[in-house]
Parts: sequence; structure tokens; C-alpha cells
Amino acid sequence: MADEKMLTGCSAAAQALKLAEVEVICSYPIRPYTAIMMELAKMVANGELDAEFVHGEGEHAQLSVVLGASACGARAVTGSAGVGVTYAFELYSPLAGGRYPVQMTIADRTLDPPGDFGSEHTDAMSVRDQGWIIGWASTPQEVFDNTLMGYRIGEDPRIMLPQMTCQDGYFISHIPDKVKVASLSQVKEFLPPYSAPHPISTTCPVSHGPQIRPDQGAPMDAQRAETFLELPGVIKEATKDFNRIFGRNYDPFLEKYRLEDAEIAFFIQGAHSNTCRMAVDALRKQGVKAGMSRLRWVRPWPTTEIAESLGHVKAIGTIETSTSYGGAMRGGNLIHELRASLYDLDERPLTTSFMAGLGGETVWLEDFEFMAKVLLQTVKDKRTSKYVYWIGFED
Amino acid sequence: MKAFDYKFQHFDPVKSLKSAPKSEMYVPGHRTCAGCGPALNYRLVAKVAGRDTIFIGPTGCMYVANSSYLCTPYAVSWIHAQITNGGAVASGIEAAYKVLARKGKYDGPFPNIIVMAGDGGSVDIGLQAASAMMYRGHKVLFICYDNESYANTGIQTSPTTPYGANTTFTPPGKEIPEGKTLFPKDPPQLFIGGHPLLKYVATTSVAYPLDLMNKVRKALSYEGPTFLHMLTPCPKGWQFSEKLTIEMGKLAIETGMWSLYEWENGAYKYTHIPKKYKPVGEYMKHQGRFRHLKEEHIAKMQAFVDEKIQKVKAAAKPVEAVPAEPKKN
Repeated sequence: MADEKMLTGCSAAAQALKLAEVEVICSYPIRPYTAIMMELAKMVANGELDAEFVHGEGEHAQLSVVLGASACGARAVTGSAGVGVTYAFELYSPLAGGRYPVQMTIADRTLDPPGDFGSEHTDAMSVRDQGWIIGWASTPQEVFDNTLMGYRIGEDPRIMLPQMTCQDGYFISHIPDKVKVASLSQVKEFLPPYSAPHPISTTCPVSHGPQIRPDQGAPMDAQRAETFLELPGVIKEATKDFNRIFGRNYDPFLEKYRLEDAEIAFFIQGAHSNTCRMAVDALRKQGVKAGMSRLRWVRPWPTTEIAESLGHVKAIGTIETSTSYGGAMRGGNLIHELRASLYDLDERPLTTSFMAGLGGETVWLEDFEFMAKVLLQTVKDKRTSKYVYWIGFED
Repeated sequence: MKAFDYKFQHFDPVKSLKSAPKSEMYVPGHRTCAGCGPALNYRLVAKVAGRDTIFIGPTGCMYVANSSYLCTPYAVSWIHAQITNGGAVASGIEAAYKVLARKGKYDGPFPNIIVMAGDGGSVDIGLQAASAMMYRGHKVLFICYDNESYANTGIQTSPTTPYGANTTFTPPGKEIPEGKTLFPKDPPQLFIGGHPLLKYVATTSVAYPLDLMNKVRKALSYEGPTFLHMLTPCPKGWQFSEKLTIEMGKLAIETGMWSLYEWENGAYKYTHIPKKYKPVGEYMKHQGRFRHLKEEHIAKMQAFVDEKIQKVKAAAKPVEAVPAEPKKN
């Protein structure tokens, strides 16, 4: 059964990939995700994992190599961070549109300029419109778990989509935490072998990716969109099975922390939720009805679940950790879709966004206290006086 | 690494055109221009590669004019790659077949994995992926079918477009009378020597089909990366009459604009060396892309070709590397 170890997020990802018996791995170095590939390289070198380890010549090649491998029916993994994620951009749509369920494991990082090693969600968030399944883990344990869940969901014959399993650089990727490493038999029970429905093969010739006429484009786009409508159901199934087999208690889409009677709530994804949870507890001790809603998958976006679980809250603040320059709310990304999800409610919570954790900055307890004050004032005023707060720059 | 029998394929040479395989793996159903050199080239390559073959088609004419949805001309498996990444997608396919074979999930002969890339997809935007694939030693045949321009986008200059060519990005004008001012990249030379695992490189012309087919077979018999630089005249881009495709492929050799050779384990073998080279004007006069050139430009081209001929003569020891073309009756 499960074996508990102290693992960083990178090690946790590598351990899960080993148990998933990945067959083609394509690497390229960029901090901080590199450590995942370093561990996989060792496993292959030691004969612990029978896989082809291909040294890609860049992130664009990494995604191209796994595309080819997945098209032939091999389970494939690659990964990246920061500008590596954006260098690969051409391939995101061909991978999703070609329905190749590869996994890209991300330990996130800021984009340039200026050069900065810090964690930020902007890299992988920039891929959100390309048809991938994308989600952030908040602990090394969740990195391990999401790696397995990613393949299970993405390789489901009803879905067939690539997955981006993300963790915050350094905060998760490089800080060890207790991780229950599952047994191979548990993994095998949860994750069936990958089977490509129409592989590139010599036994049954197929053509992948021929040109279409403009009138054939919309039906294909609609099919991809329909898949995203089916996706929540598949995620629910997979999460339920995962919880049963591995003894966890994940909500498929949102971690709802002390939300039932909350008047103010933080809306967040990734590592800073750990501090946020502590802040909620501290605020509760002070008599403030605070809660937290943590997004597990940003794609597919859980519109219904957000409306159902946050509709009663009076004011919600998003912790953005990514940028959307010139966007509707002048801040990050999460606020747009959060507000859209709440729009059809008769009584909508007030919202504001907090630009926090950019450039790899720690979001401190005091920062959450400041945000809580803003939200409480918003509740009192019954209006949002300011839509964006840049944490650390506000008086 | 443990030894494993991947069941690599090995091919015998084709002795004569008549004894070439009858079955076609590149069949009608495409939309290439009349007289298309790359399409004829594709047919010959696919024919001798046979059924246990996978083609990777980076964006280019042989993608755009070939692969209409639900009506592709490939009788073997084919996958589109971006114009950027033919070498990388092929690497992934090769890696997949290796691991699937080791794990007992595939037990057929190791597929011929062939990238059919245009000049842009080989030595311009596709160069990085091609080079990395060869460097890593994947068992892939990378083909550059060279029609000397970005043709399907409307004839724009590529690194192999010859000096003096009129393309839509190098139009001749008052300030730049010759159109293209640069001399072309030399694809085989980009790869030869810089890739320790690359063992076989050869050039071909569609006008010499037997030579071409045998170089394909030889390349496919190597258990590592190989590269073919294949001259495929383009009636639309070069602006010659579509009935002259083969003639252009011949004149290229006869004038020294192109030479046929193999590079194998570090040694060059030239074939079909003309006893007396024709002037380049004989080749250029049929092609509208050179029509605007003045005598001094043609002289400049001749000087460039003369230098190439000197190199050929210096390096060449004409040998019958592969069965020669049948003599005309």
C-alpha cells in the first residue's frame, strides 16, 4: 500500500510518472521543472523505468516529440516552465485538436522580462484557450495525485485531450512535504493502459491531420467544445475512483474551505492557498466569517460549481498570481471568469482582484489580512470601490 | 543498454525500372499542379519504401496540395507535422515504436519512418528539428524535396532558391534588378560532418528515377538517421512548361546546377557527371523566374556553378554506386 515519503513537488511528479509507466519522455532544461526530468533520467538510466528518454532541442521539439509518440499509442510526457511554456506555443492547438492525450508537467515560472526564477501562473495560464485540461496542485501530494488523474481523465476515450498538470515553482516544486506514494497495483486499478483509437501504424494505415475546407472547420471546433462539456462528468468519475482507491477526499473542481456560512471568500489556485487557509482560520478566530475556494482545474472552468458554492458569499477576492494586461478588470485572469460564472445569479457577490504572488513573491499572512479588510469594507459599502489591488503597493 | 532486435528492414536495390515494385503507396487523389516534380518524387519514394512505412508531412506543398480531409493520397500511414517540426515528430514516432516493440506491444517490422519536408521545412524553419533528430540518431529518413521556394504560399524565396530567381518576396526592380541576390544554402553540407550518427546522405533528381529509388532503399536500410536532398522541379514556381519537369531535372545535372552524389561513411561518390557541362543559360532559359536576368547576372551564376563543378571534379571518382539508368534504345 501507500508508502509515505518526504518529497518535493518535482520528485512527487517523477514518482507518479514512473508508476504511470510513461513510455516516451522528452526533456529540455529550464528551472524549476528540470528536477522532474532529472529524476526520470535517473530512473531510465538505472533500468527502473522502460521508456525512451529523448533529449529535445527545445520546448517546441518537446511537444512535437510527444505528439508523434502519442499518435503511435505510447504514453508520453514532457514538461516545462516560464518562457519554455511559451516557446512551445505552436504545438498546443495541434496536440489538443489532434486529440493526443500527452501530459505536460509544469513547475511554473514568470515570463521574461526581466529574467526571474520566481513562481507565477502566467506561463501555463497563457495556454488556457488552446483546448488543454489545466490545473494547479497545492501540495506535493496533489502533484502526485493530479499526475495520475491527468492521464486518467485525458486518456478517457470520451475525452482524449492533453493535460497540463501544474505546480507552483519552488513553493511546491522544491519544498519537501509528506507524500503518500501509491503502490503500482493501486495505480493499475485506477489508470488503464493508454490505447490510441486510430494510431499511426503500419497495420491499419491512417492519415492524421489532413487539411480541411473552411466549412469543415466549425463542426470540428464544435466537437472539441462538446468534449469540454463532457469533461466535468469524467473528472467527477475519475476523482471519485481516485478518492476510493487512494483514500483521499478531493472535490473534483473546488476545494471549499469554511465556505458554508462565509461572508467573504478568497478565490485562489495553487500553493498560496496553504497560507490562505491559515489566514481563514485566523480570521475566523477574530470572528470574521471568511472562507476559501480553491480552483483545482482552471480548464475545464467549473462554472456551475462556482455559482452553487459561492453565490451566498457577499464579497469575493481573487488571488491572481497571473497577469492579463488590458483585460476587462484591469488585473489578472481569474476575476473575468469568476464574475462570468456569477452573472446569472439573482444576487451576485461583489468581487475584486488582488494581484499577489507575482514574480515569485510570497503572499504573507498579513497580505491576506489586508485583503480581508478590503473585502469587509466592500461588504460594508455594498459596492466595490476598486477592482484591482496590487498587493505590496497599496497603503 | 540491452540489445534488442527491433526487426529493422533492409532492402535490396532495384535492378531496373521494370523490376521496381508495381504497387503504389502514393496514389491519385491529390491536387498538385500538372507536371509537379515533388508529387512524382513522392510516388517513387513511396513505391520503393513499401507498405511498412510511415510518412511525416510537415506543412508544404506535399501537405497542402495532397492531404484533403477524407481524401489523402497515402496508402500508408501519414501524419501532418508543422512546417517547423518534421524531425521532432518523426523522433517521437521512432521513440514510440522502439519502446512499444520492447514492451511487446508491437511486433511487426520496424517501420520506415520518412519525413517528407520541403526546403523550408528542412533547412529554414525546420532546420533545428532536422538537425536534432539526426544528432540524436533516430532511425528516420529525412527527405528534403527541394522545389527551391515556399511554393504553396505563392512562391516566396527560401534558403535554397537560386540566385537571380524572381519570387514574390524577391521581385526584380530598378534597385534590385536580379531579384534574389543571395546564393543558396547547401542542405547536405549542413548535415554532413556535424552529426556523428548520420551515416548516409545523397542527392537525387526526379529525372533519374532508378538512381533515386536506390538511394531511398539504401537510406532506409541504414539503422540510423539518413538524409536525401531531392531535386524536384516546380513548373509553377520556376515558370516552365509543365511538360518539361523531367527535362529540368536533367538539365540541372547537365549544367552543373545540381550534382548527384552519395556521402557514405565519410566518403563521397559522384555519379552521372557530364563529360562536358552545358552552360547554365541552357537551364535558365526555360524558366520564367530567370527571364529578367541580364548577361552579367547569368555570368555570375555561371561563375558560382563553375566553382561547384571544380569541387565535384576534385572530389569525384565516378563509380557505379547504384545501378545506372537504362540506356535508351
